[in-house]
Amino acid sequence: MLGAIAALCDDVHFIGAFDPKIRTFDIIMKTANGSSYNSYLVRGSEGVCVMDTVKKEFSEAFFQRLELLCDYDEIKYIVLHHLEPDHSGALEELMERAPQAKLIISGRAVMMLKGIIKTDVPFEVANTGKIISLGDKTIEFLSTPFLHWPDTMSSYLHEEKILFSGDVFGSHYYDERLFDDEVGDFAYAFKYYYEHIMRPFKQYVLQALKLYARFDITTIAPLHGPILRTNPQFYINKYAQWSSEEKFRKHEFGNKMLSVFYMSSYDNTHLMAEKIMEGADAVEGIVASMYDLASLDESNMIDLLEESDAVVIGSPTINGDAVKPAWDLLTCMAYLESGSKVGATFGSYGWTGEAPEMLHDRMRWLKFRLPVKPMKIKLIPTDDELDDCLSFGAEIAEITMGKLVEMEI
Amino acid sequence: MVSVYLQDDNIKIKVPVGTTMKEVARKAGAAMEFGCRVGDCSTCIAHVKSGMTLLNDKNEKEIKVLEMIGGNLSELRLMCQCSVKCEEGEIVISYGL
Repeated sequence: MLGAIAALCDDVHFIGAFDPKIRTFDIIMKTANGSSYNSYLVRGSEGVCVMDTVKKEFSEAFFQRLELLCDYDEIKYIVLHHLEPDHSGALEELMERAPQAKLIISGRAVMMLKGIIKTDVPFEVANTGKIISLGDKTIEFLSTPFLHWPDTMSSYLHEEKILFSGDVFGSHYYDERLFDDEVGDFAYAFKYYYEHIMRPFKQYVLQALKLYARFDITTIAPLHGPILRTNPQFYINKYAQWSSEEKFRKHEFGNKMLSVFYMSSYDNTHLMAEKIMEGADAVEGIVASMYDLASLDESNMIDLLEESDAVVIGSPTINGDAVKPAWDLLTCMAYLESGSKVGATFGSYGWTGEAPEMLHDRMRWLKFRLPVKPMKIKLIPTDDELDDCLSFGAEIAEITMGKLVEMEI
Repeated sequence: MVSVYLQDDNIKIKVPVGTTMKEVARKAGAAMEFGCRVGDCSTCIAHVKSGMTLLNDKNEKEIKVLEMIGGNLSELRLMCQCSVKCEEGEIVISYGL
């Protein structure tokens, strides 16, 4: 049973699909009561525009809803705000059914399109400011990359003041009543979605909000969960607040935060950590702290990592590997921006000593800046080696404060 | 030696002719982002603020990808496709962290 076709206004309808049974989304997200794959149909005096499709296995509901509202030969444009499979799953079939339709994607989506549709299809690239017309309806595109895929864009339907925001402002929340004033309390899902999907891209969120601010928005039509029509500014303000907040008050005074995370089996890595912290903390403008990984839970790890301008991780080597809590710490970076953070690794070892280099390598893939080589010390540090730890901490701190790094290959 | 200044990381690294930007990024521990590393995905797009002529010429695939993305083509390069072709000079690169 399809149920009624929800109308955002006379000429804009929901043609997406509901997925009440999904419990884990994108491997990392829990979806306690399911989700929806939202897509929309916009009718103008000179044709129809389809905004996104759905996950492939939900194509039937999508096509059924679409067919209730238009004939395939009326479709002038198909817009994909990003090409993630949960929104592009029915694209290939839709293009076969409506071969005259022009596909609109962002520039960054061009290469991805070949991975989604294996045959060549005609498309047009939209950047900020591109406008398409459906006669009495005008759609303007906004480039809003990395939210949360690199190719993400948004669009604005001028006449109806509707923002099609892509995954921005989405929630994994299934409720067929669809509109924010009619569904149950989805506040937790809205925040959870932000924290897991948008939080790693805060700077891009703020850039997107600046673009959105140019428009008078009465409805936000995201790609998952409730359509936001009661007070769109409330949701925009939430995103602005979450993307701007600096939790650590010392940042307000121009200081930078350096965190030393460590785990120690015979106290030797701990001794190194203390000296590294001491060396770092002596550098003007740095506030250094140290944390025993044995006593940090995941939410504290995420908060501390987010606040840190420099992340220094120490682990002994046990059975040729770094200890699990050190790896757990780095998996938390999936929820955060890493771009400009300085990273470094260290550790005491008994036999083989791979841990600091393994962690260093992992941090390189996570896009930390890693200008200092890993430091490792065999078992108990000597006084000279502890002095080296002081210098190691000071060097990382100075680089964090903006010291130019010079090197040669 | 050519001096490569990675503006976003504040790292200046001297490299011999023939060094690839992938090597530069790895050796410098820079936060430069790479995706496919073969010139298809455009993840490693960067602005060459000066010293473009010190880099190897763009190949056909790189030109095609950059044209599809748009923007100022005289400044843009895919870092995975770049290597240093001259003995002397300075290259300044920003990849927009």
